[in-house]
This record gives sequence, structure tokens and C-alpha cells, in this order.
Amino acid sequence: MGDYVWFHDVSWHASYAVYFFVIGILAGLSFISFGSWRTPALRPLREKTAYASFVLLGLGGMLLIADLSQPMRFLNILNPAYLNFTSPLAWGALNIVAFSIASIVYILALRRRDEKNGQLLALITALLALGLPIYTGFDLTVHQSRPVWNTPIMPVLFVALAIASGSAVGALLAAGNTEAQKVLREYMLWSAGAVAVMLVSIMGTTNYGGSAAELTFMIMTTGTMGLLFIGVGFLGGSVAPALMLFAPMGKSQGVVLVSALLILAGSAALRYVLLMAPQQLQTLY
Amino acid sequence: MSEGSKVSAGGGKKRYAMVVDTRRCIGCMACQVACKAEYDTPLGVNRTWVPYKVVGKYPNVKKQFLPRLCNHCEDPPCVRNCPVEATFVVEDGGFVLQRYERCIGCRSCMAACPYNARFMLPSHRTYTPITNVVDKCTFCFHRVTQNLVPACVQTCIGRSRVFGDLNDPNSEVSYLVAKNATQVLRPEEGTKPHVFYIGADRNTTEFGRDAYQKREVMELERSAFKSHFKI
Repeated sequence: MGDYVWFHDVSWHASYAVYFFVIGILAGLSFISFGSWRTPALRPLREKTAYASFVLLGLGGMLLIADLSQPMRFLNILNPAYLNFTSPLAWGALNIVAFSIASIVYILALRRRDEKNGQLLALITALLALGLPIYTGFDLTVHQSRPVWNTPIMPVLFVALAIASGSAVGALLAAGNTEAQKVLREYMLWSAGAVAVMLVSIMGTTNYGGSAAELTFMIMTTGTMGLLFIGVGFLGGSVAPALMLFAPMGKSQGVVLVSALLILAGSAALRYVLLMAPQQLQTLY
Repeated sequence: MSEGSKVSAGGGKKRYAMVVDTRRCIGCMACQVACKAEYDTPLGVNRTWVPYKVVGKYPNVKKQFLPRLCNHCEDPPCVRNCPVEATFVVEDGGFVLQRYERCIGCRSCMAACPYNARFMLPSHRTYTPITNVVDKCTFCFHRVTQNLVPACVQTCIGRSRVFGDLNDPNSEVSYLVAKNATQVLRPEEGTKPHVFYIGADRNTTEFGRDAYQKREVMELERSAFKSHFKI
């Protein structure tokens, strides 16, 4: 009793989790657009996913800029004289700019029905899109003092979440198209399964970490955070859809759509908890 | 903050450090007040602060103080993580400083700092025009380059805080670090901090497992803190 604790604010607030969610979906949609050149069943989604990805890029970019306390200085991050390449944020900014340019050129090629260059541009856009969840994962991984964040699995988890949530949005866009949904069901099944496995490994290593890691595990698995992480994210957003899609009834359109909604809700909750929970303990230090 | 200011008069480079002898700290918070006055630090944030814990069992109890500030690390994660090099190390002296005009306010440095030494300045201040950027302790760079000690050291009534050049074998900090068992905060992070503690209690330097069992009084204090901390 009578202790004096100076409370600190968390560094990154929930808007950053929304950005992670948006960037994950747009990366997943870019993968589908590229996939449509190789898998005929996805062909009806080629333009839709490319446009949706670009719209989400605008939304994500605005979120990122608005989250800065000096929004007008966002150009500093693109100034070659200022760039610090030991920061994943610097790489992320370059990746976003490169992805934006590639997306525009790709959409122009789609509008011109340029089949010759379209596939190559789709590949370049998808590769740059792959960089987005990887950089957001590294954004967290590099913070050595934060349990959960500072694990090598974060970039891989963010890629799996991007595939899962992008495929989920793709499945919703392809409602009524059973051929496309058949392919997207496979994407969702394996990516949701991979997310579940990675979450188990995160929980294991965190629970058996040092005192800070153990306390973070307790924060992540109890109370509201626990409901979001274990309930909505792990069980509802990855285990349940993986089981539903794997079951014999998993090929029906209704199950695919319900799974897609569950994956979207789960991946949003997971990003929120993965961002916020590891910051909670530090506020007391 | 001028990077060009000379720290060493000549010869070798300096490496400034602070030794905090917690046995001598009486918890008067004069250091905190001096720092606030020196920099017009706004309400709700601090460059230095003195948390304490009551340790022991009645009737043998005592307050264990742990003055805190930026550790001016040898390998600062904040510098590594800033995307625009707004934060940097002054090679001669080892100060970790901030370029306010360059900071974009991404708070990456705040997330990277294991010591919570960084904070966001509010959008409105009465006397100082620097707003909406990240700020931190500078080891009173402007005073040290004028051969003065930092404001917190100057005002420390118990001489708990001692400041000087670690590279100078005749300095008081060199003597204290050489002759006493010292601790640094969170050595496992590999940041090589340059704030050394003598007699720091593990109850205050480490995450105790009781941190999860937050007492009701702490929750009340946290809610009060949050309601007054609108940036």
C-alpha cells in the first residue's frame, strides 16, 4: 500500500490494429488477383480484388498518416536524407509506395485488357503485397523488450493472417461462384489452420517465458483480452473455421461464407490483442 | 538541440553517465521538480520520475525509491527504430537526443524503449512551442556543454545523483562505479545503459509476478491518470 507508480501510456493505440487488419486484407486480395492468372476458377475475381485492394490501400494509408502526431511530416519518411534503414518503418514506407505504384500500373493494364503484361504486373504487385504483412510483423518483432512481439514468428503469422483474411474477403466477393469458393475454401482452411498452430506456439513460449512474458500471457488470456484472444481470435477465428471447412460439410457455400465471416472477426481481434496486450505490462514499469 | 556543440575540450571522447545511489535518496522529488522547471515539461509526462515501493513487513518497512530517467544507452533501441533518424547519439558524450523538427510522431521509439523514458508532448503548451513530438531526458545537454551538471543532479539534496565522465578515471562516477556493486535496469535487453544504480531493490527494478494482482487502489490511480492524460 502507498506505493507510487508512474503510469505510462501505450505507444501504439487501436488505430494501428485497424491498419494491420486493412493492410492484411489488401495483401491477401492482391495474392488472389495474381492467383487468378494461374487458377482459372479465380478469374472472375481478378478485377474485383485488384480494385478492392487499391481502395483499402488508400484507407490504410490515411489511417497510418492520421495516426502520426505530426501527419504533415509523413513525407519525412520518404526523404532519402532522413531514411534510417535499421527501422522496419522505413522499409515499410518504401514498400507501401512501391506497392501503390505497382497497383496503379496493374489496374491500368487490367483496364486496357493488357494480357501480355498483366500477369507480370500481377506478380510484381503480389510480391510487393507480401512485403506488407512481413514489414508489419517486423514492426513488432524488433522491439526487444516486448514479450510476444519479439518472436521470430510474428512476420510469418502476419502473412498467414493476410492470406486468411484476404481469402475470406475474396470468398464474400465470390458469393454464388462455387468454383472460386472451392479454391478460396482451400486457402482459408490451410491459412486458418496455420494461424491456429502459430497461436498455440506463441502461447506456449509466452507462458513459459520470464516473468514479463508470463504476465503478458496472463493479460492476453484473461478478462476482455482473453475473450478477444482465446474466444474470438483463436477458437472462433481460426480453430472453428478450420474445423468447419475441413469437415465433410465444409464445401457447402453457407459454411464457406460463415467461415469467412468468422475468420475476418477473428483476425481483427487477434491483431488488436497482439498489438495491445504486450504493451500493457510495460505501462507499469 | 545542436549536434555541433563541442563536449570535449580536446583529447579523447567523453562518455557521460549517472550514478544513482538509492541508499541516499530520500524521495523529496526535488529532481523531478527541477527537471520540470528546466524544460517546462507538461502535466502528465516526465523526463525523470521517482517511483517507490514500500517493502518489508510491519514494523520493519521502508520506502524503496528508484529515480528513473533516460538511460542514454550505448546501443539504444530507440535510435535503431526511428525511421527518420529524428533521434540520434552524440558520439562525444553519449547523449541520446531528439530532433524535434524532424520527428513524425510515429511513437516507434516509445515502443522500443525498455525504460519508458520517452513520451509524447501534448498539442497545447503555454510557454514552449514544441508540441506533438516525442520528448525525453537529454542528460541536460545544454547545461553539460556549459560545464554544468544536469538540473536533477544540481538539486539533489542527498547527493544521490552523481553525474560525470566515465572515461575520466578521476571522475566521481568512475570511482563510484569501480568501488561499488552497481546495477543497471533490464540488463538482459543488451542496451548497455549509462545510468548505474547502487543499492537498487529488485522489487523496484524487475517485473514482479504480483504486477498482475493489481490492487484496487492502483486501478483507481490509473483511472485518475487516464482521465487527466488527454493528448
